[in-house]
Amino acid sequence: MAGGWPGLAWAARGDQLHIRNYVDLTTLDLPFGVSGAEGIVGQAIFQNLLQFKPDARWDTELDAAEYFEAIDDTHYAFRLKPGQLFSNGFGEMTADDVKFSFERVIDPALHALNAPDMGPLSHVDVHDRHSGTIVLHSPYAAFVPVGVAGGSGAIMSRRAVESAGGRFGIQPPCSSGPYLFREWQSKRKTILERNPQWTGPAAAFEKIHVYAMTDHKAAEMAFEAGQLDCAQISVESAAPFENNLPPESYLEIHPSGRNYWLGMNQSNPALRDIRVRQAIQYAVDVEAVVEAGWFGLAEPAMGPIPRGMVGCRERTLIPPSGDLEKARALLRETGVELPLRLRLDVNSDTLELTAVQVIQWSLKKAGIEVEIRAQDNSIFLSLGQEATGEQWRDLQLYFQSFIGLADPYYSLVWFTSQQLGQWNWERFSNQEFDRLSDLALATTDEGERGRMYRRMQDLMEESGCYRFVTNGVMPQIIRHSIVPAFRPDGYAILRGFRPSGPQA
Amino acid sequence: MLQFVTRRSLLALLILLLAVTLLFGMIHMMPGDPASVILGPKASPELRAELNRKMGLDQPLPAQLVRFYTDLARGDLGVDVFANRPVTDIVLEQLPYTLVLVLAAIGGATLLGIPLGCFSAIRRNSLLDRITAVLSVAFIAVPSFVVALYLLLWLAVKWRWFPAMGAGASGDLADQAWHLALPAIALGLGWVGYIARLVRASMLEVMEENHIRTARAFGLPERTIIVHYALRIAILPTVTILGMGIGTMLSGALFTEIVFSRPGIGKLLHEAVITRNYPVVMGSVVVTTAFFVLCTLISDIVNAALDPRVRESRGAS
Repeated sequence: MAGGWPGLAWAARGDQLHIRNYVDLTTLDLPFGVSGAEGIVGQAIFQNLLQFKPDARWDTELDAAEYFEAIDDTHYAFRLKPGQLFSNGFGEMTADDVKFSFERVIDPALHALNAPDMGPLSHVDVHDRHSGTIVLHSPYAAFVPVGVAGGSGAIMSRRAVESAGGRFGIQPPCSSGPYLFREWQSKRKTILERNPQWTGPAAAFEKIHVYAMTDHKAAEMAFEAGQLDCAQISVESAAPFENNLPPESYLEIHPSGRNYWLGMNQSNPALRDIRVRQAIQYAVDVEAVVEAGWFGLAEPAMGPIPRGMVGCRERTLIPPSGDLEKARALLRETGVELPLRLRLDVNSDTLELTAVQVIQWSLKKAGIEVEIRAQDNSIFLSLGQEATGEQWRDLQLYFQSFIGLADPYYSLVWFTSQQLGQWNWERFSNQEFDRLSDLALATTDEGERGRMYRRMQDLMEESGCYRFVTNGVMPQIIRHSIVPAFRPDGYAILRGFRPSGPQA
Repeated sequence: MLQFVTRRSLLALLILLLAVTLLFGMIHMMPGDPASVILGPKASPELRAELNRKMGLDQPLPAQLVRFYTDLARGDLGVDVFANRPVTDIVLEQLPYTLVLVLAAIGGATLLGIPLGCFSAIRRNSLLDRITAVLSVAFIAVPSFVVALYLLLWLAVKWRWFPAMGAGASGDLADQAWHLALPAIALGLGWVGYIARLVRASMLEVMEENHIRTARAFGLPERTIIVHYALRIAILPTVTILGMGIGTMLSGALFTEIVFSRPGIGKLLHEAVITRNYPVVMGSVVVTTAFFVLCTLISDIVNAALDPRVRESRGAS
């Protein structure tokens, strides 16, 4: 039996790591992956040309490549480290495998869900066994963080994937990272084991057990019962845990990279007047919302782009605490009859429901009465979509959130005019914003990109359609026996985890 | 008896068809878009259309239903388009966990509930009867997820006697049984009380009947009278209820599976409904409905086997 009776408990596990993943895997064929959970496992068993360093700045470092450099805005040269082997006898990793892996993502016949990650990728030129050049049709600033270092950029063995029929599900035909895929138990866990052929620094654990646990509370109890070494926990549990930590453990609070905001559908008659929307912006006390919803663990957002990423603003145009007097004055100016009654749709999630209740309280002080409508996630996500009916016309206020990627473009691209009726539920349409969105994606100069993205967030705020709330947090509870490694958005970098103490 | 079984089986098949058709309609009428939920912002109109086409959602509902039944007749529950795996495989992976959980829970509840009910009836108004009455009502009143949480808090978190999650190592029966203990207790505890009360009431009624008095007059030992004459009849309502109970437990298993992070059909169905993964939802629904209908059928057949009046009365009607 794994574990034990009283006194034996779960501690004696040897060099094995037991960690929670927030959802089960759907596939490990990462161009077809549907969640970050797959990337967490994939990053431990596959190699990319570059990988993210465990820090707070989205910095990358060489992974399978010993050399990687942008020749110009559309050409990236790479050279692989020699002698890197695919498991299961699929031989050495070559530049042709890089070509196969990258071009496979954009193959129209495959309909890969994550094909957009590669942006305007044209093809990969192979020069010799280990080197080649990646060619883009046009400049694409997100190519390195999203395409090369992201999940879709995992290098697969051409021979292995073709022998598996060109596509695979959970069981990868081979691995190449510090860990090998050993077993997947549906709705239970994935087991990885040390790759004996790995030529980099030895993997720290003999085995990693990655448990698929959708429920925060179950994960917290499993941690307290000693069955997990590291687990993401709920925001509402973080504060109690901070004051009463389980033995031999500590808490780390990471920014989540998720963007939470109060959206306003400007095409709805009740919100057509920009002064009404601005009044709402000024009335909402974001500091109070964050304090109540995130127990003071998160910070008010500077915009959709989180801290630590290019383009994050230093301050918002409207102060996070709002300005109640200004809100009242704006409403008086519009002449609307008070109390103004509005509907606020929200996903029926505890954290988001708490946040909107504070928003409701803030707005009430300004003379706006809000009816909160908690929706099932699936229904909520279709509210602003034109393809699912006419309900988008009735949409007024809504509390929305989604998770970003490693590049700022992904935080803002959903608000362009092209996204009207899809994900741009605010019906925000601004030519300068659209132009800057394209321009920033084609600009590789970080300073220039940062300036454009800051301006875009100013434009969003000036439109009155958005009240940015927070980028959230991802609390992790960790056993003292291990040293964890996380990306800036709180996602685990499994290959960076190691035991603490003398073994480390 | 054969005629009874045939007739009852045909009725079960009809019930299954009606239930699945009804559920198919209800599930597909739920608002929500699977592509948006699963893919989030990546769900472009093209991708959404492609996924809808693969799931058959671009067809009118009757056409989807016909396609579903045609596939079902071939034993094909469709494909999970996100995982690119046959739904049959996905469902069959999870089903054994739930079946084991439900059978362990109902089995444990029956083994405890029947003797408790018997003793309470035989020792009517005794201290044991009163204690059993109080405990039974308490067990029935507390929802299984509350029991699950407290079992988890005390026996897994505080004392670490039992694991807090999972289903045990594959191939290690002892480990699997150890992982099963708390979920099965949580799920079955309420049924201990329910079965005990039911058996007690039935026993009290049967013990007053003429044939028991006759048996006593013939000087048969009390033990023989209770086991062979009273319990055999008193257990009939329990057998019927057990058939229904297994079906109820299938839905109750969801909470237990979530609290104990245990794989199973309930958890699969719950996640599939949240993401509107229709092929997986329908696959799970078909299997659970079929299982429910099968349990009811078995309980009817057992009832008929135990009591000839059942098959005769149904045969006459």
